[in-house]
Amino acid sequence: MFYLRLARGYRALDLGRWLLTALAGAVVAAFLLRALGRAMSDPVAGSDALVRLLWCLPPLAAVAWFAAVAARALPARRAERITGLTTAGAGAARIRALIAGEVALACGTGAGLTLLLFLILRNDIAGPALADELGMGVALPAAAPVALLALVPLTAGLAAAGAVPHAETLPGRPRPEPTGFGPWRLALPIGLVVLGLALELIALRPGAAADGRPIHLPAGLGTTSTAALGGWAACALGLALLTGPLLGWAGRLLAVGRPTPLRLLAGRGLTAQARRLGAPLAVLTLALAMVLTTIRYWLGEPGSADVLPAIEAGLVLGCAAGAVAVRLAELRTARRGGCEALLRLGTAPRLLVGAVVLRTLMAGTVLLVTGGATAALAAAGLR
Amino acid sequence: MAAAPPDNDVLWARGIVKSHHGTPALRGVSLGVREGEVLAVTGPRGSGKSTLLGCLSALLPVDEGEVWFNSAPVHTLGRAGRERLRRDRFGFVGSEPHLVPELTARENVALPLLLAGAGGKAAHTAADEWLERLDIGELAKVRPDRLLQSQRQRIAVARALAPLPPVVFADDPTAPLHRETADQVLRILTSAARSHQLTLVLATHDPELVRYADRAVALVDGRLTGPVAPVPRAPAAPGTAGTTAVPAAGH
Repeated sequence: MFYLRLARGYRALDLGRWLLTALAGAVVAAFLLRALGRAMSDPVAGSDALVRLLWCLPPLAAVAWFAAVAARALPARRAERITGLTTAGAGAARIRALIAGEVALACGTGAGLTLLLFLILRNDIAGPALADELGMGVALPAAAPVALLALVPLTAGLAAAGAVPHAETLPGRPRPEPTGFGPWRLALPIGLVVLGLALELIALRPGAAADGRPIHLPAGLGTTSTAALGGWAACALGLALLTGPLLGWAGRLLAVGRPTPLRLLAGRGLTAQARRLGAPLAVLTLALAMVLTTIRYWLGEPGSADVLPAIEAGLVLGCAAGAVAVRLAELRTARRGGCEALLRLGTAPRLLVGAVVLRTLMAGTVLLVTGGATAALAAAGLR
Repeated sequence: MAAAPPDNDVLWARGIVKSHHGTPALRGVSLGVREGEVLAVTGPRGSGKSTLLGCLSALLPVDEGEVWFNSAPVHTLGRAGRERLRRDRFGFVGSEPHLVPELTARENVALPLLLAGAGGKAAHTAADEWLERLDIGELAKVRPDRLLQSQRQRIAVARALAPLPPVVFADDPTAPLHRETADQVLRILTSAARSHQLTLVLATHDPELVRYADRAVALVDGRLTGPVAPVPRAPAAPGTAGTTAVPAAGH
């Protein structure tokens, strides 16, 4: 009941977050139940069942990531609610539990609905087309779906609980966030990119095609070699980790020299947000780059096209985009004080909008570079 | 509406009424601020000091009444006109520093000058000078979140003074400060106002701080009470101004 009362005070973005969490939970639950159904229909092929279960991990990770980013943003965005709860005597653990419980409830609702659908469909409604996927005709051990479905709310809830920030500060006086990047945070991604590029070059050298042991990628993506795959993975990870520092440098570049107010506000704002924006933008860019590289393999051959990878890609992209939206909303709340100070000084709102546009263009350029490089390297490595 | 504001008043308000979403804040305030004076507006919390300063400094539109600045109407200005007025003519120090968090101390102070169209070099030089004057010259390259509250408030004072605006509004500027820093900030504000012939409107809940002002008015529950300067209906000669003012010392 408490959650329902909280939900009554929700605004559009909160409801969207709740619905996205529930929907993502439902889709992940569907993947898990499908893996269970196939395993029941065909108990001999053990390793295939394991692979199918492993394919459920990326969507599960995407849901957990989205839940963590959303939980991280909640105290900042709903400061008055947290202040009210704290003043009423709720401690840090209780607030953490409330936020995590809310996420787990959303995921649990979605998973429960999927289970209901699964049980209904098992009564021979869908016909023989889905019989294999649902494990029709085989007795369903009660513990299996419950254990699998408990995994979704549990993972998302734990991720959310771990991400809730707690600082003992006065209400309305948030603790300052660190903004810069340490030397290791810069050296590691640069090293990864260099290593990945070297591996990729080795894989693509003339005559490398004669290497005997190609890796067959799943979902009809063709083949690649160990060096190309490893090089691409290192490069992609390095570029993702480098996104934040690159955004910071782009901001410095905008405000270089003796900048106009527009360049100054846009650049310094981007530099200050680089650390917080880097991670969700990097995840979204990486997911987009992977989908864009692989989409032609699904579209090119209708026979091999499978709807499940598309759903999985859509889910991961949706969660990554949702995480970016939530983080942007959080940053917008954090910047409210600075914006008010600027308006107080008589800054024209046009200038503030211009700064946001300039900042977005600069960030978009950075993401085009990192995402484009990731996609190009992936395309080069595939055969 | 027929009466023109007196010539020697840089700011002149008549019958200002202002409420915040139905909660009345000002219920008919009339006030004249003379050029180059330090005027204190005292009153307890919630008496409407901040709202009065907001209306006078063209941040808030008034619900009723008139506000004039240098014989030009402020209450008829649209949003853009009030923005321009705030940017080009007014300086403001609030009870919180309200700095732009991602800018360094120097950039924060230079910002009003840059917004008003000054060159980058001139703006940064002026910013450095004012930071030096407020004893925080060595913090020019530091961002506000790494500074103490008292240092941040001094940056806010430097930001308000750096463009040398004709009128500086200070809304409880010493609220976040300890006594010794509060004294320093007020001394700097008043001495800068006197040496550059700026007009300073100082709102404070602390009756002791009235000693820094030439004249004080008290605000209670959205109305001026006590030592109120009656609003002159006709241009008054500078010599007669003293009769309308209650010296702060006698308060």
